[in-house]
Formats: sequence, structure tokens, C-alpha cells
Amino acid sequence: MREFAALFHDLDSLTKTNDRLDRLVQYFKDAPGEDSIWVCWFLSGNRIKGAVKTGELRNFIAARANLPVWLIEECHDRVGDLAETISLLAGSKSKKSNLGLNDTIRKYLLPLRGQDTQERKVLLERTWDHLSADEMLPFHKLLTGGFRMGVSKGNLCKALARVGNVEPAVISQRIAGNWTCDDLTMQEILNPVGENEGRGKPFPFCLASPLQEDPGTLGEVVDWQVEWKWDGIRAQLLTTTAGGGMLWSRGEESIAESFPELLECIPYLPAGTCLDGEILAWGREGLRSFSRLQKRLGRKNPSSTIQKKEPVCFQAYDLLRMNGEDLRSISMLERRAKLEFLMQGLPEHLPLRISPEVNEKTWSDLGKRREESRERGVEGFMLKRKNSKYESGRIKGAWYKWKVDPFLADMVVVSAQLGHGKRANLYSDYSLAVWNESGELVTVAKAYSGLTNEEIEKVDKFVRKNITGKFGPVRSVKPKLVFEIAFEGVQASGRHKSGVALRFPRIHRWRNDKKIEDADHLSTIRGFAGMNEKGKLGDGTKIDSAGNLLLF
Amino acid sequence: MKNEVLELRREGIFCPAGDFYIDPRGKVDRALITHAHSDHGRPGHNSYLCSDTCKSLLKIRIGKDAVVESLPFGEKIKIGNSLVSFHPAGHILGSAQIRVEVNGRVWVVSGDYKPQEDQTCEPFELLKCNGFITECTFGLPVYRWLPEEKIHQQINEWWLENKQDDKPSLLFSYSLGKAQRVLAGLRKEIGSIYVHSAVYPFLEHYEQAGIKLPQVMKIERGKEYDFNGSIIIAPPAVEDSTWTRKFRSARKGFASGWMAIRGARRRRNLDRGFILSDHADWNGLIDVIKGTGAEEIKVTHGNGDALTRYLGEQGMNCSILSGASIRGEEEE
Repeated sequence: MREFAALFHDLDSLTKTNDRLDRLVQYFKDAPGEDSIWVCWFLSGNRIKGAVKTGELRNFIAARANLPVWLIEECHDRVGDLAETISLLAGSKSKKSNLGLNDTIRKYLLPLRGQDTQERKVLLERTWDHLSADEMLPFHKLLTGGFRMGVSKGNLCKALARVGNVEPAVISQRIAGNWTCDDLTMQEILNPVGENEGRGKPFPFCLASPLQEDPGTLGEVVDWQVEWKWDGIRAQLLTTTAGGGMLWSRGEESIAESFPELLECIPYLPAGTCLDGEILAWGREGLRSFSRLQKRLGRKNPSSTIQKKEPVCFQAYDLLRMNGEDLRSISMLERRAKLEFLMQGLPEHLPLRISPEVNEKTWSDLGKRREESRERGVEGFMLKRKNSKYESGRIKGAWYKWKVDPFLADMVVVSAQLGHGKRANLYSDYSLAVWNESGELVTVAKAYSGLTNEEIEKVDKFVRKNITGKFGPVRSVKPKLVFEIAFEGVQASGRHKSGVALRFPRIHRWRNDKKIEDADHLSTIRGFAGMNEKGKLGDGTKIDSAGNLLLF
Repeated sequence: MKNEVLELRREGIFCPAGDFYIDPRGKVDRALITHAHSDHGRPGHNSYLCSDTCKSLLKIRIGKDAVVESLPFGEKIKIGNSLVSFHPAGHILGSAQIRVEVNGRVWVVSGDYKPQEDQTCEPFELLKCNGFITECTFGLPVYRWLPEEKIHQQINEWWLENKQDDKPSLLFSYSLGKAQRVLAGLRKEIGSIYVHSAVYPFLEHYEQAGIKLPQVMKIERGKEYDFNGSIIIAPPAVEDSTWTRKFRSARKGFASGWMAIRGARRRRNLDRGFILSDHADWNGLIDVIKGTGAEEIKVTHGNGDALTRYLGEQGMNCSILSGASIRGEEEE
């Protein structure tokens, strides 16, 4: 428990992701496997449920500290975290405990689940006598279930990958899904030659470069496969040769638990198949906005109500593997033919579609079609060279994204936050506001890229001299600076007072020539999304007046 | 509040029998000052009375031309029909509880106090009294202090670790009291010690009072320094200023009782918080209040509600004295 407590406190105070990774690697190297496996389990997002009720905890600690329960609640209000409040009040008597994490959990934590209130009180009293001051907070975090420590599952996989010298994607697969510390061991997670090696693992994603030159420079239109650029989540849906399947995000995280309906497609696909595509919010009327998809993100095991209310589909656009055969080195043209053949044979009711091709004879005709993008809810075109292989990463010349021009608006900097990495200690992250109907500045976006280093230095100086308030790490500043912000779209948001949030906002340029009075109005921003007329965001707008789907 | 010894007026706590105020606001004729923090010793009064060791520190705050008289701790003087004496409060150097006696009734105004050990100031003296006006900055049981040598050890270990990583250690602590307390605990063999110019002027007065502080260097504007491996003591007010930009690579810490709560440290984006306070912790408040034997307790500033209710439930006559003090920047 001592090593785990040290890990907890170090992760809590380290601010840089790499330092935290190093620290985690060190823990996994030093700690016994029976302890490490718990850390993997907790950092995978699992928690021990039903060990104690918060009301019971308050009563027990009140009795122990000889304080009235109302005073425990006052403390809780001040501290803002029950686990920490209990830790501060429990009054450690022990200098050092000698139990490991696994033993502590099995001896002091798991038994609570089957006990009545009196038994729990007795056991917790013993725990409090036993734990040292440093162990209190980590223990109570495990007990109350609020254990996060700012390490994502992706970073956990990276750390484990370094410890075992195994690909992060392999690790990620091994710790995906539901498991307990009784049925998985560290050896199995870190095994360098696991028997399932290579299977169920995603392929490195082929990425597109932004098209910066005139499309005419790309040569003949007929050499290119053109598709709409979908606004969803890139993913690979695959089946293994042994049966079963996986759904991977571009960050090589398993997202199968978030989209059970996509996993239901697995039995219909041939074994050893890997589809590359996009997960989209997709209702009866067709494509829905990204904000609808967001309601499904990060939510594990969604209820059937949510699945019905916020349906999704997998829009396939490439076939990387079939019947166990790696297809990445054959041409896009051939892969497309195989993909079409495969998709035609699938039952209609599955939430699987193929990303349609857009066929035009000339680049200028395509340019005209591209103007439909906003109306269709897509971001422009994807151009894929028909004779290209499926590359790993961003290889110029194979895939291009030909995006629509961004929206632009002038906005006022109303608050700032210190940046990270190279920009640590510089106020480089800004909240931006526009005028609303009542003449107030309301925030619509945060942006932290687009300025030159010299400009950031200048803004930093301005911020430090004009701080008007502190809200955690955020400093509100006197409204003075006007930036032109580029963004890709507008969606409804409860997070911003303005009721809207921008997609991919970035600073286009610093409008030194403008005063804050010249900044844009909320109605202009809403106008970009057609929100003024409908009073809501452009979901389900892809139907024309005759009721036909515009998309196909 | 109005009793036979003290009453609360717009300017602050007033003693009609002696015609003086204690830690007043605005402009009064006679001000008795508990200690030299800016929310207690304010400029602008016609004359001042404080403890001997407080005097020179107070003058830095209120101007060297101010009329300031002082008394040694424990010496009783007659002011009008009252008998007044200053007693160590253990908060910072020269900090006093002010004992006022009128017709045999005794009230004590605590100012800020701490019964815990502190090598940079006179140790707290527990006074018996009829009425006690107590501070209550950390009036919740989650505030519990460790012995100061433990905290000094933590600071030195942190400094050493940063030095081994070739980084400066920038430690924020209030310029009067906390900064000197931190300095007194530093192990000077670890590296060089720098102080912000707001901390520097107080140091000579500490030395004159016989308090041993390590050799420090004052950071002057426009000069270049190699801070790697050194520790820099600066007031928290400069945390967001351009001054701090010099210390881009530094690890940053803050020495304050508020650091007992993890969220308080995290909100400030600090690498480390050291729980070092110049005020009484919860147990300190309870022990002192009970120890005075006072029949009546008045609680000023801070989270007084919880303490008042708690003591009330224990059968004590305890209430909030609102409007007695407005806390300033220098509070902890």
C-alpha cells in the first residue's frame, strides 16, 4: 500500500503527461504483480461498488473524531471531496503499514460489501488504525469510487507497453472489456508473445493531408476516388479469425463498450475482416450532427433507450483485411471493389453502410458539388488516389482532405489560462466571446493555436497586467483584444452561456485594428448554423422539401 | 457588542474607559495594534501603541513618520480608567494579544494567534479572562497542523530534489512572518537563497530581534541571476505577474495553512503545497478558547459559524462578532 500511496501522490502532483507516464512505468516495474493488476483494473475505469454508503461513512467518522455529523458535512462542503474529508479527519495513528495494495483491498475493502452497518463500522475503525497518513486518501478514493488520477486508458496502455515491450494496441486489447483481478494476471497483460498476437488488433490508420494547392494539380479526376468527408469518429471494426471482434478508435482505444449495436454486426462479417470507416450519428432521416454523436461518446454500456434515441451507424470506406488476408498493399480501386462486394452481401437491418462515391467529370464540377457540404453536414471531400496502397500514417499524395473554407468571426478575449508544454507559464489558452442581444459578451469558444510566438508573448503580457478575477486556473481579463477566429461549425452547447459551441476553433489572426465594439454578434454565429430561423441546431436538415433524403 | 470593557464601533473594537481602539480602520486618535499585518496595522491614525518587537515592523507598513509608542510584553500601563498589557500571540514576530482590564473585568483581544511552536516569534501565552475575542481563520476540524520541523523537512527535501533536477524552487509565502519562518527552517548548505524585494526589508528587524535567519540575496530589477538549484521566497501576490516569468522552469510551491486542502493547491496550479500556518488550527482554537476560562467568546472573521455552533453545543456562550475586521491580502 505504501508504494501505491507514493504513486498516487506523485501522479497527483506531476503536471506533465510524460512525467506521469514515467512514474507509472516505474511503479509497474517495482510493484508485485498482484498489486499492479489492481492499478490496471482501476485505471481501466473500474470501481468497487457497494462497499459503503456515504451516509454511513459520515456517521462513522463523526463517531471516531468525536464530532457532530453536521460538522463533518461542513468539512465536506469546504473540502469538496468526501474521500479527502474522511482522510483528513480519520487521524492516522500508524506510521507505516506493511500490507500491499492487493492485501489491503482484499482484507479491508472487499469484505465491506457483504457486511451490515455495524460490521462495516468495526472493519473501517480497524482500517483507520492501520493506515498511515499518506495511505488515507488513496484508500478512501478506492473506497468511494472516485479514483482517476488523470491517467487515461490510452496512457495506461502506453506505460504497460513500455514495461512489457509490447505494442500499446496489444495491451489495449488485453485489458479491454469486463474482467476482474481474479481472471487476469500481469503476466498475461505483459506477455511479449501472447498467443493471440496480431489478431484483434487495429491496423495503423491511413491519414489524409490537407489539400493546400489547387485540385487541378492532382492530375485527372478519374484517377481519384472522391467521397464526402464525414464528421464523425474514425474507427476500425474488425473480426478475428478465432471469432469475436473489436471496435477501435483512431487513438487505438477499444470503444466497443460504447457502441454495442456495432458489435452486433460482427457475426455477419467474415472472420478475419477489418473495416476502416467512420462512426456517425444516424437516425431515420439520415445523418445527424456531431453533437448528437457526442451523447454517445465516453458512455460505456449505453442503455437501450439511449441506443434508440441516439442511433449510430458505421460508414465503411475501406477494407484492410478479409478472410485473414492483409489487403493493405493492393490498390484503393481493388479494395473498394472488394468492400462493395462485401457490403452488398450484408443484411439491410445492420447499422453498416458504405461511404458513397461522388462522381463528377471535372475538378470544377466537383468544386461546385463541394458547396453542398455544409447543407449535407459534411466537411468537404476526401480524395483518395485510386492506385494508392493503404499507408500507415500521413503519407503525402495518397489521401487528401479537401475541406470547405472555415467560418470566420471576430471575437473578444475574455479570459486566459496558462498553456502546457512549451507554453507552460504563458497565458496562451483563451476564451472568446461575442456580443449577445442584451449587449453582454458571452463566450462561444476556447482557442489556443494560431498565434505566432511573439504574439503569444505580447498577449501574455497584456493578460498579466489586466487580470480581473480568478476562477481556478482561469484568469478573467479586461475585454480589449479582438481575434479573428476560424471554425468549422456551430452546435448547441449547455457549457457556454451563449448556448452555442464552435467546432475546431482556432485563431486566424489578431485584429489589432478592431475595437471590442467591432466584434461579431451571437446572431451572426447562430446564423452560420441556421439556428436563428429554427431556434435549434441543424439536425435532420438533410431532407429536401419533397421529403427526399438529400444525402444520396 | 457592548460590554463593560469593550464595544464595537464603525472603526472597530473600542474601549470607552481608555478611549482607544484596537486594530481600527479609518482614522482614530489612539490605535492599539496587535501585529504588523496590513489588515491589522493600518496607516492614517494619529498615534499608535504596540509591542516593542512589533514597532519597527509596523513602521514599514504605516510609514516611518507615524507616531508609534511601544511596550515590552507583560508590562501593564494605565490608559484612562483601563489597564492595558500586551502578551505574545505567537502569530508573527511582535504579535500580541491585547489584555484590557476595567473595574476588575478582563477582556482579551487575540488578534491572530497560534499556540504551535514557531522559532521566529515569541511563544503564545495563554491568558485567563472574562471575555475572549478570538480569530477563526481555520475554524474546521480538517485543519490540523504538523509540527513545524516536519514541514521544514518537507521544504528542504523538495528544494534538494529540485536542485538535483537543476531547477529553481520558487516558494510563495507571505512577506511578513511566513517568509521568515520558512527562511529560518532552510538548510543553507543545499544552495543559494533569494528573496523578492517585498520580503527583504523585514529581515533586518528579525535579526535585530535576535532571530537567526540564513544569508539571503535580494533580487534586484534588471540584474541577471542563475537561479538553478536555488530557492526563491516571494509573496503570493506576484504569482501572476511578469516578475514570475523569470522562473519559467521553476517548480512552484506555496506555504500556507490553506494547502491542507488538495483542491486549494490544485486550483493554484502549484507543484507543491506546504501546510505551514501562522494561525491556530482547529484543535489550537478549541484548546485556547477553553483554556482562557472566558465566560463569553466572540469570534471574528473566517469560518466562524461552525466554531460558534460547535462551542455553543458544548454549552459555551459563543457568538460571531461581525464587522470587527476586514481581512486583507496578508491573511495567511
